[in-house]
Amino acid sequence: MYCFLRLSVLLVGLIVSASSYAANAVQPLTTADDLGPKVEQPIEFPHDRHAGDAAKGGMEINCMYCHTYARRSIVAGIPPLQKCIGCHQSIESVRETPRIKKLFEYWEAKKAVPWKKVHDLPDFVRFNHERHIQRFVFAQNKPVQEACGYCHGDVKTMTVARRQKPLSMGWCVSCHQKDHPVDATSTKTTHGPNDCWQCHK
Amino acid sequence: MIENSFNRRDFLKVLGWGSATVALSGCGNTSVEDGKEFVTSYVQTADYIIPSIGTYFNSTCAQCDAGCGIMGRVREGRVLKLEGNPKSSINNGKMCGLGQAGVQAHYNPDRIREPLLRNGDKGEAITWEKALGLINEKVGGVRAENVAFLTGGVSGHVKALLKNYLDALGSGHHYVYEAVAPSVMRAANKKAYGVEMPRLRMDKAKVILSFGADFLGAWISPVHFSQQYARFRKADNGKRGVLVQVESKMTLTGANADRWLVIRPGTEGIFALGLINALAAAGLSVPGDVAAVVKEYTTDRVSKDTGVPTEHIAKLAALLKERSPSLIIAGSAAEGYAHGSQNATAIALLNQVLGNVGKTVEGSSGIPFPQMAPTTGNRQALQILNDNMAQDKVKVLFSYGSNPVFTAPASMKLKENLKKVPFKVAFAHYMDETAVEADLVLPLNSALEDWGTVMPEYIADGAQLNIRQPLMEKLHPGTLGMGDILLALLKQRRPEEYKGYEDFYSYLRNAMVSNKGALGGANADDNTFWEAALSHGMVKLVGSPINISSHVSANGLVVPAPFVEDSTYPLHLIPAVSASLRDGRNANEPWLQESPDPLTTIVWDSWVEMHPKTAAKLGIVEGDIVEVASKSGAIKAQVYVFTGIHPDVISVPLGYGHEAMGRYAKGVGVNAFKILDPVFDKETGELAMHETRVKVSKAGQRVIIVKDEGPAGGNQMGRKIAVRMSSDKVNLSKEV
Ligand code: SF4
Repeated sequence: MYCFLRLSVLLVGLIVSASSYAANAVQPLTTADDLGPKVEQPIEFPHDRHAGDAAKGGMEINCMYCHTYARRSIVAGIPPLQKCIGCHQSIESVRETPRIKKLFEYWEAKKAVPWKKVHDLPDFVRFNHERHIQRFVFAQNKPVQEACGYCHGDVKTMTVARRQKPLSMGWCVSCHQKDHPVDATSTKTTHGPNDCWQCHK
Repeated sequence: MIENSFNRRDFLKVLGWGSATVALSGCGNTSVEDGKEFVTSYVQTADYIIPSIGTYFNSTCAQCDAGCGIMGRVREGRVLKLEGNPKSSINNGKMCGLGQAGVQAHYNPDRIREPLLRNGDKGEAITWEKALGLINEKVGGVRAENVAFLTGGVSGHVKALLKNYLDALGSGHHYVYEAVAPSVMRAANKKAYGVEMPRLRMDKAKVILSFGADFLGAWISPVHFSQQYARFRKADNGKRGVLVQVESKMTLTGANADRWLVIRPGTEGIFALGLINALAAAGLSVPGDVAAVVKEYTTDRVSKDTGVPTEHIAKLAALLKERSPSLIIAGSAAEGYAHGSQNATAIALLNQVLGNVGKTVEGSSGIPFPQMAPTTGNRQALQILNDNMAQDKVKVLFSYGSNPVFTAPASMKLKENLKKVPFKVAFAHYMDETAVEADLVLPLNSALEDWGTVMPEYIADGAQLNIRQPLMEKLHPGTLGMGDILLALLKQRRPEEYKGYEDFYSYLRNAMVSNKGALGGANADDNTFWEAALSHGMVKLVGSPINISSHVSANGLVVPAPFVEDSTYPLHLIPAVSASLRDGRNANEPWLQESPDPLTTIVWDSWVEMHPKTAAKLGIVEGDIVEVASKSGAIKAQVYVFTGIHPDVISVPLGYGHEAMGRYAKGVGVNAFKILDPVFDKETGELAMHETRVKVSKAGQRVIIVKDEGPAGGNQMGRKIAVRMSSDKVNLSKEV
């Protein structure tokens, strides 16, 4: 009886999960866009104003000026509030605008801004920013915005960032299978790793 | 985005059903929490702090009194894992399992989060302001001599502040109580060598003879001794040291010994004197007065009294004579009796006769700041406090760092006497048995979020002031550090003196920096000195060495004849101090309950260790629930049949059996402290922990013991994995 019961529970599990598998049966093996939900942030941070092209009123700040951890850590990190204030305390022109006022309120209360996470991966996946940035930006001299953009889309045109790509396993693999030519002296392989344990914990 | 019928919660549900489903539903399950989780950044941070990469900060372990230096791995503002601080000469980068569980003391869900004031049976949350005001009012309303402060062992700046507070009140009543402490040994050492805690140089010894000192498990500074022991085992000269352990119940150290000699409880002193006699017979020069005293302790008589076969006594004497220097250690097995002091003195005499004093037993270092030196405690202090409470002499009682309601034997009637104290304040992390009795409970910071200094009692050389610093922000805004509370109380009494210090941190920094000359920072500027102290987690102190003298006199040394049988209570109870639970203060940390006892592999419960012969006589098998009754009370627990114990002895571990404290401690096992008989060491007045006599009777039920151990006999899949040989087949002199 005991065995039987367990089996039936497992079967129910299989059926339920199989149905969900069917819904996802086609794993996108593409780099196609796949827009994530709109995320409401405590402060609508205008990425376009900071990183956008000068012609469009942007400041062309390097992504890694603020997301400085991307090249040294597995996470890109949100800059400490101190960094925002570092610049904004000397930008008088926007000091009284609602968003900046809010920013300074957090600063004066010494409270962290409760940003919402826009790009989340399942807990069993380990994505390493540092490796990707070191490879594309530092080893292959790709422009920073292009390299970040592989996964994050064209952030310099957005205000609040929104997920652009599926970030599914199939999608990751689609890129890992591509050739990313390296120079002749490099010992690196041309494509990304295909080993389960590289990404799965 | 791909519409996914699975949200994370459903996913977790499926996870519980079977692993086959995980693989299927896991794939393509992306963006699980988009826009839902927070990704909180720092407000301000140092350049070296990088999200997802751990940073290590040094501090001091608070899990036991050894005071090991620790490094906490901190990531995203949370402390995740502790390691040993390599710079600390106590533990040299190593740690023990009890220390590792320190994170569970910190993140513990049962921590008290705000000051609680008694309202009938309940504790009502109040503000700190009100709590401190209430203390001011209460201590102001009674005579100073009616205020008592009970603490565990204290040292460092908290101790100095505590003394100042008591001075400010005009009361000197500071009672220091440690439930399991080598107090008898300290006193005996003081008499024999002039220092309470001589430094034991195991690494220089060629033979160690230990009388029940569990120095690899729970004795004084186990991590330090383990390292010394490793060097003793693998000496530079290539000669492996020999450890002989003499005790009535096997400890972890006993299990590691080359030769484990089981001895009749209480006859350790006789054994030591017998060894001196045997050594003298073998040609070791022994002073005349000593020879006169020991001459009656012939090997035959000693063997009869102690139960150790004559050949082992002879072999041991030969070994000690051949290999010098040796080291003889008096541990709990020797000191836990009414004649504990005599036992310890006999053992010190053996050290002296063997010429070990000055070689493997060395003097300690003086401490440049005596006001911060460790105050060690004993149970006698609690007895005095208890008597005072019984006589209504205590009107306000503070309790910090000890849990006497749990650890005091029932015969002391401490709980009843506590009720006579009109106002009791407990500084506590948990609602432990003592806090439950209090009128005002003040929640303390965990050791990983607190400031302080610790001066350990035992350190290999020199002296050391350990720094305790926060490894992360406070988890609960309503808790405070002991230093902060004392400072606030002092501000009530001596506002002029203390008003300059905003908090304990500023007091501590100022106290350290203004003494930097004596703390080894004479040439550094204030900031450099302070930063260096914090980054090292300690400052080394230079104290004048205290020389050791050896003047154990054999005159008047009597060790009593072995116990007479007691037909009502035929068995001796040895309350065992385990490496994880010690006196029970850490019992609410599930890792400790979960880690198997090293000898029996039992988890999450108490047990009664019993020799197979005794069990057979009583018709008991493993798992039987028995009642262990002494004159002072009875407990019930499961029996574990174990050969590493004298047939006249049963043993129950301490630390279990909490009635309060928290979800992991409460109701797990039984409290062996409660049934200890009120028998005291004749010289020091210390509770003789091994003197309780008990009777054992079956209580009817039988359980399956939850333990890690595999099938008996060391047999795995039909293969023997550990070959056993009976001990009399081993010739120790050939073996080592
Ligand atoms: S011996 Fe004591 S102080 Fe040292 S790590 Fe273990 S619990 Fe901590």
